Amino acid sequence: MSRAAVVLKLSLRNLFRNRRHSLYALATITIASMGLLVFMGFNRGTMDEYRENTIRARWGHGQLYMRGYRGKAHERPWENWIESPQETIEKLRALPGVRELFPRVTIPAMVAAGGKAVAGQGEGIDGVAEARFFTRMNYVEGGDLNDQPFAIVLGIGLAQGLGVHVNDEVELVARAGNTALHSAKLTVGGIFQTGVQDFDSYAFRIPLKLAQQLLETERVETISVALSGVRAWPEFAGAANTLLPDLEAVPFDELDKVYYRHAVDWLDAQFAFIEDIVLLMVFFGIFNAISMTVMERTAEIGTLRAHGDSRMEIALGQVIEAAGLALLGGSLGILGGWLLSIGPLSHGIQMPPAPGLTRGLRITIELARDEALRVLGLAVVTSAAGSVLPVWRAMHIPIVEALRHV
Amino acid sequence: MALYEARGLSYRYRLNGHHVDALRGVDLEIKNGEFVAIAGPSGSGKTTLLNLIGLLDLPSGGSIHFEGKDVLNLAERERSLLRRERIGFIFQTFNLIPVLSACENVEYFLLKRKIRRAEARRRALEALEKVGIASQADQRPNEMSGGQRQRVAIARALVREPAVVLADEPTAALDQTTGLAVVNVMKHLNRERGITFIFSSHDPKILTAADRVIQLVDGRILQ
Repeated sequence: MSRAAVVLKLSLRNLFRNRRHSLYALATITIASMGLLVFMGFNRGTMDEYRENTIRARWGHGQLYMRGYRGKAHERPWENWIESPQETIEKLRALPGVRELFPRVTIPAMVAAGGKAVAGQGEGIDGVAEARFFTRMNYVEGGDLNDQPFAIVLGIGLAQGLGVHVNDEVELVARAGNTALHSAKLTVGGIFQTGVQDFDSYAFRIPLKLAQQLLETERVETISVALSGVRAWPEFAGAANTLLPDLEAVPFDELDKVYYRHAVDWLDAQFAFIEDIVLLMVFFGIFNAISMTVMERTAEIGTLRAHGDSRMEIALGQVIEAAGLALLGGSLGILGGWLLSIGPLSHGIQMPPAPGLTRGLRITIELARDEALRVLGLAVVTSAAGSVLPVWRAMHIPIVEALRHV
Repeated sequence: MALYEARGLSYRYRLNGHHVDALRGVDLEIKNGEFVAIAGPSGSGKTTLLNLIGLLDLPSGGSIHFEGKDVLNLAERERSLLRRERIGFIFQTFNLIPVLSACENVEYFLLKRKIRRAEARRRALEALEKVGIASQADQRPNEMSGGQRQRVAIARALVREPAVVLADEPTAALDQTTGLAVVNVMKHLNRERGITFIFSSHDPKILTAADRVIQLVDGRILQ
């Protein structure tokens, strides 16, 4: 039997020697691990919900532009748009993971109603196709464009600026590439709120065909992509770059960096803070348990040292006890978290509208195996860290002093 | 060659801001196979002397040679190793590990010397047999009487076949009959195996069992 195995045996026997202390430490680790895992699941559910909202409200899984177009100012932007969009879309349809493709154009225009005129920037979209995929637009009034040829949906700020509501009429005046002005009378079909105040104050959407007519172009500025899932993006983007090297594929989180990326970063930071607090609880729980252990077993530590146990062997025994408690508590916590997720929390948690959204979200607790392992790892590492100071003390108690301890 | 040779041993510590001299220039020589008692009233320095020759503490001055080796110049790790290999201890309060059975208490330090489990078990049972307690091998310390626990402690000290067993007041927590029985076990093992025993006591009846009594008073050996 190896020396480590002997120390392990004694440590495991010692684990529940003082049941009250051990159970206190175990309960702390179990509850903390369960809380951490459920919170991780909640966080994952929130992230997924945010991501789905971002994808299905505005961007799709990503968009394709002519290479070098995005992020630069162009005197004649339409000259850098995608030619022959239908042909391009047919080619893209054959790529892996593609579900739907949505051609779009940007159209700057004056929007007028009731004697008021506001400068806006809109998008021409395929209302019917987009209604099938973009199901998360937050409409505060009305709804999608669908197949109405002379409908318009407005950002809430723009609608308020114009003082219009659903079924009101607005006039759109746009300048085509050759400087000619074109106008169209449109009926308000819906008023949306993305949560980005600036965007909502100027954005509108009209049918793609109408936008192209007003701009006197057959081209499209971008093709939005709906894939089978987020994970399909890298393969799709790689294939698109190979097939159509003139196009640049940009994922949704890059397109919506300000809102989505920052929201995710903010949630991540918040989660990290809460995680730190939970781990601190574990740390002090273990610190307390091991400190009590060392105090109670001082004479025993003295006996072991007198009989020739080295300081490292004493330390190893205490760390094994802490790690054993952490493994047991962490496993029970994971089991508890899983039971919660399939029991009381199986239908998720109804949350009020998040910042920028007009409807609440039902967040499901999405547990993941790698996160469960992370929780277990964190419990063990934190517990080992929590045992360092008491163990250091145990290692350095003079033997004769330890033997005198009652 | 003497088993122990100590010269000018002194031990000073601070108590409530004052220096206390627990030992004052003790010279000591103990030969292999002796059965020696250290006697003296409380506070005379018996425990301090045993701690120093047991390499559990370092003196303020003087020298200690154990089996011819100057042990005060050894590193902490080397002293631990020497204790593990060559010195057995018996304490007044038995100091058994409560989560281990009698047999496991005895075999624990054998297993740590990488002795195979079956061999360690055989030697542990044999040691318990020697001290007359083999039938309680599977009992834990809290299921045993004081005398039985001290016998387990003796078996634990002996099983590693040390050169010397140091026993600090081994009978102090026992009634006189049990105490005498425990000392008789120690003496029997000394005679049978030639293991050196050095024990402290202030009980005259216990001291009569010793071949030699070293009398300590106020940190000095009475000649």
